Amino acid sequence: MRWNRLKADLAIIGAEIRKTAKIWFAYKILMFFWAIFPLIWVIPYLFQGKALVGGMSSAPFAQLTGTENYMAFVLIGAMVSTYIFSGLWGVGNSLREETYWGTLEYIIASPTSLLVVLIGKTLAEFLYATVMVIFQATLATFFFGIDITFGKIFPLMMIIVLLVIGFYGFAIAFAGFTLLIKEVHGWVHTLEWVFFLFSPIRYPVEVNAITKLVSAFVPLTYALVAIRAIILLNKSVINLWQILLILGVMDIILIAGGYILFNRLEYRTKKAGTMSQY
Amino acid sequence: MNIVLDNVVKKFKRGKGLRKHYITACDHVSFTIEQGELFGLLGPNGAGKTTLVRCIATLLIPDEGKITIFGKDIIYQSMEARQQIGLLTSGERTLYWKLTGKDNLKFFAALYGLAGKERDKRIDYLMELLDLKDVESERVEKYSSGMKQKISLARALLHDPKILLLDEPTLGLDPQFSRFIRGFIKDELVGKGGKTVLLTTHYMDEADELCERIAFINKGKIVNIKSPAEYKDEIPHTEVLELRCQGNVNEEKLRTALSSIKSVEKVSLINKENDLALKVIASRVESILSDVIELVRGEAKILAIDVKEPTLEDVFIYLTGTSLKEDTREEQPDALE
Repeated sequence: MRWNRLKADLAIIGAEIRKTAKIWFAYKILMFFWAIFPLIWVIPYLFQGKALVGGMSSAPFAQLTGTENYMAFVLIGAMVSTYIFSGLWGVGNSLREETYWGTLEYIIASPTSLLVVLIGKTLAEFLYATVMVIFQATLATFFFGIDITFGKIFPLMMIIVLLVIGFYGFAIAFAGFTLLIKEVHGWVHTLEWVFFLFSPIRYPVEVNAITKLVSAFVPLTYALVAIRAIILLNKSVINLWQILLILGVMDIILIAGGYILFNRLEYRTKKAGTMSQY
Repeated sequence: MNIVLDNVVKKFKRGKGLRKHYITACDHVSFTIEQGELFGLLGPNGAGKTTLVRCIATLLIPDEGKITIFGKDIIYQSMEARQQIGLLTSGERTLYWKLTGKDNLKFFAALYGLAGKERDKRIDYLMELLDLKDVESERVEKYSSGMKQKISLARALLHDPKILLLDEPTLGLDPQFSRFIRGFIKDELVGKGGKTVLLTTHYMDEADELCERIAFINKGKIVNIKSPAEYKDEIPHTEVLELRCQGNVNEEKLRTALSSIKSVEKVSLINKENDLALKVIASRVESILSDVIELVRGEAKILAIDVKEPTLEDVFIYLTGTSLKEDTREEQPDALE
């Protein structure tokens, strides 16, 4: 019985991934833009850094980060943040999209949990973000000289998976929140800037005491530190076991919290009668 | 009994702060629907029909009362209840427009546990049945409104449910598609399929033609439940005087004046931008005709007069004082509580 349920849930997740992919492919130009935008967005920061210190490396930067390669630092931040922002937009906005399409009520009226559909959406989003990041990494390797050797791919994916498990747990709760508040853009933009400010996407958070303190509660901080350590400082995963442990604990908290919050928010929306409102 | 509603109450919050109040969309609603029955919910816009359907479909949680589907509670055994239900609502925006009709059905089939050959066979059968085979590989965005509604109907039937909840299924469709949907409900779903159907509509002809029993619903309350024939017997020896007029009238004053004429039983008045549709239900129209014309002529220009046998809509007016064409909706529930 349980095995049958699991099989049915996996089929739903597969159907959701196929559906999402087909809708994406209906907007091919948009896909291309989303692939290159994260890299284009960081170019002004690279030029800004160059203008400030007269080059792509500086001693104070090296002191804070352990590497002089500012360009690689920022590009890695941009690539990893693709997972975060595609999660926020893709997963967080997904139920709002279903409301817009008028299909959400039909999903809810079916004998399946909305959470299973959302897991399908998160996996689709993860695959989409991975394709984007592979594309970005190829560009970064060719045009910016970033060295991602084959042997680093597995440890990097391990850290990324640990990052997205927890983060997508948060995004699922956020999706539930959007069911109730009926507004996404303002919240996503706010969250984006919270991540930009309180995690080392574009700069080392150690430059300021407050950003350093707050960033300790953001999983992205640990993931970025570990990923940069592997790519730029050639560290192995074993050296980073403490970071992996912290990410693992954060995953458990965020997944459990996301699950509880989502269920409560779904119940509240059904009670308020605002499920189909756009 | 397939569907049982026991004292269902659903309220929605309106306004914020000091202006916060609740409106009752369903007010202690109770009824049962038997297996294989085509049961109608008839009422004007905003009467509470869709709220009830959403409660039964587990999209809304009632504040009070209990709903069961084949004995399964829709809150505590919602998955089992949903497996028995097929849902069809009005409106074009219920499908993925960027997907083909077939891809839409494949996705929803997965939600109902259908996969592989069984799924493909079922989809092919429904596409044939609903005459959609030629367009199955086209994106839904290219479909007409009627074709979209047919795909939605196919979706409702994917898992061969025992119960169908049809919420205004012909709303906004052209007469040809409406006729097709009505025929399909009567002949295929109930006739051949033996399905239990709950149909909500504000088209009295639709309810009259299709339903074995009809619940009149007004302002969230069930007014009465009877067969169409029994309803029409409610107002025997009564005629309906219909007037179409034009003019800027004081509705309340005219309604009161008409109601005060002897032997007038009910008056319904719908004013849309000074285009007036007036119905006067009386035991003998002949005796009130001159009085009515005199009163109306003083307020508006009379364009047409007709005397008719009472229809289901007239029975509804007779029982509730409200026309099915009226819009009794209040504003939407607030998004954030």
